[in-house]
Amino acid sequence: MTLTDLLVQQTINGLSLGAMYALLALGFTLVYGILELINFSHFNVFMVGSFVALWMLQQFGLSGQEIVLAGLPLVGVLLAALIVTMLVSGGIGVAIERLCLRPLRNVKGPAAMITTIGVSYILFNIVLLTVGADSKNYPNPLPPIRYHLGGAVLDLRVILIWIVATVLMVGLYFFVQRSRIGKAMRATAQDAEAARMMGVEVDKVIIMAFFLGSALAGAGGMIFGLYYNFTSFLIGFSAGLRAFTAAVLGGIGNVPGAMVGGILIGLIEAMSAQFLATAWTDVIIFSILVLVLVFKPSGLFGRIAPTKS
Amino acid sequence: MLNRRRVAQLIASVSAVTAMGGTHGAKAQDKIVKIGADLSLTGADAQGAARVKNAITMAIDAANGAHAVPGYTFELMVLDDGTPTTGQYDPAQAATNARKMVSDSLVVAAIGPQMSGAGKAMAPILSQGGLATITPSSTNPDISNPKFAAQYRPAGKPIYFRTVTTDAYQGPNMANFFAEVLKVKKVYVLDDSGAFGVGVADSFEAQARKKEIEVLGRDRLDPKAADYTAILTKIKSLAPDAFYYGGVSQAGVKLAKQAYDIVPTMIKGGPDGMTSADLLTGAGFPAVEGWYTTIAAPHLVEDTKAQEFVKTFKSLFGTAPDDYSITAYDAALVVIDAVKRVAATGKPVTREAVTDAFLTAKVSTIQGVISFDANGDLADRTVSVFHIQKDPSKPLDDVSAQYKYLQVAPQS
Repeated sequence: MTLTDLLVQQTINGLSLGAMYALLALGFTLVYGILELINFSHFNVFMVGSFVALWMLQQFGLSGQEIVLAGLPLVGVLLAALIVTMLVSGGIGVAIERLCLRPLRNVKGPAAMITTIGVSYILFNIVLLTVGADSKNYPNPLPPIRYHLGGAVLDLRVILIWIVATVLMVGLYFFVQRSRIGKAMRATAQDAEAARMMGVEVDKVIIMAFFLGSALAGAGGMIFGLYYNFTSFLIGFSAGLRAFTAAVLGGIGNVPGAMVGGILIGLIEAMSAQFLATAWTDVIIFSILVLVLVFKPSGLFGRIAPTKS
Repeated sequence: MLNRRRVAQLIASVSAVTAMGGTHGAKAQDKIVKIGADLSLTGADAQGAARVKNAITMAIDAANGAHAVPGYTFELMVLDDGTPTTGQYDPAQAATNARKMVSDSLVVAAIGPQMSGAGKAMAPILSQGGLATITPSSTNPDISNPKFAAQYRPAGKPIYFRTVTTDAYQGPNMANFFAEVLKVKKVYVLDDSGAFGVGVADSFEAQARKKEIEVLGRDRLDPKAADYTAILTKIKSLAPDAFYYGGVSQAGVKLAKQAYDIVPTMIKGGPDGMTSADLLTGAGFPAVEGWYTTIAAPHLVEDTKAQEFVKTFKSLFGTAPDDYSITAYDAALVVIDAVKRVAATGKPVTREAVTDAFLTAKVSTIQGVISFDANGDLADRTVSVFHIQKDPSKPLDDVSAQYKYLQVAPQS
């Protein structure tokens, strides 16, 4: 492989990782933008999402690597699994908000954030105790089509991940920018009190933010499973922390910032493994987190956070 | 008042007690000797741990049933060193377990741990408590090496015995196999950042250099990370003939999976951490096909000597045993034999007496006569090499069917 091939290949690897981080980062950013709350349960909503999708695929008779679909059945199965996964994950997000966070809405200090850590561990242990601790094999119904770009290889699977992630992210962007409830979300993010006075139903907006963020995390979980062909109860933490870094890097609260941040973190991870050593990846990524927080706390694209009165 | 349901419960519990009395045969005046067992029952290596536990239970139950040591009844104290936080063995939990065993005066010997990372955490505590353990699978040589005595046996006496050989042979003998049998000229070496993985990868790397294999690089995987595509792409670009991964299945499953996508034709090798059902179920075929792996013991489950064991194990637990089930069973036999010899002298069965009995052991077990050297290491140093070859006629998660035994790895 020449250096160019290598760079192309690592860019492909990095973009796939980045797409996943971006989907996850959006959930952090949506909730933070509105509640100024870092939602640590998001990590494991992502993990649960990957198991929901696994279960859905198994309902369609897919298990192991042997069964490969094509054409309409493939699209149908994946789409059905994706939609159910997003609805279930979104529902979990709403339940977390309704049951664990709303009662704490007016409590000052870090109570709500600490609660999300607790919820995260509850989800984590429920999955551990119900499905077991071993890595689960994920079905791979995609035909093994690969394209060669010089010495680099591009899998059909990877292209699909890019497409799904892009569609979801662009969809979210327009939803937030154009739709009525999106407008209400932005208004609440700017000033919740004023928005309420103008007749915005803030509770509904918050529920929506949790639903959308968690649904995207669920989609990310399914993509994770299809990409790596495995899932386990453990996957939430390292992916979640990196996605959180991505959200901070892009400017937490900022939707396009989270997307770009995710992709950047993915690329950095791939390149650092190539040119340094994988052992150093976490050091590099979390150094970025610290540096951003110290030198540019508003991130690359500026933070959009509630203005405190 | 006794209603009908209470009566039914009472009858059920009485009959349960009678049934238990039947199998254990514990007489009221029997003295209890406890045997501690530290295993990684939670996490990525759970399946292997369950087999080890079953094998030990089988040996202990048989000994109790046959009154192998008159006047004594064995009791097993199983502790789990796996935690949800690590997703595999957790050295901190292993240390806690060691303290638990040491503080129970009825515990006279232990079996385990399975993992060297756990062993390193337990050894100093066991040493200070004077409690000897026999590990059926942990192979890091430092723990029993007199060079590190201050660290792992501060009280002086050897307390870490093994029914397997160490990575002082497992890594190097595999390097010999790579050089002599597979004719590998260039290799890349990875580990999973655990005590076992780093140790075995180091010893592999050192011997590979001695055998004039060019080592193109060395990197360390974070077992909790999901993505190894970047490092595998780097390996692909360096184009070695082979890569060797030192570690256990948590990172191994993901590595095997992604390596199949990126470097499908490269020779891939790993230690006993990769000889496991967890790899077959987690990564699955076709990704695992073609991996070369080792175990730090002779290959026995297909041996005629082991057939009775294999049959009984299958009928009791419904799953096939693997070679480390046999080394675990053998470890239990050594413990039972030591207690028996101490009891026969009429002296009290203490930790010290049992440890001394280990040092003079000559126990005939499934793998042959077991004796230890002055540090507790097994006298026999066989490392066996396997090759994963799909056998569709057998269950795809059956280690004994899908790992084809090749040969004993060449000794240095």
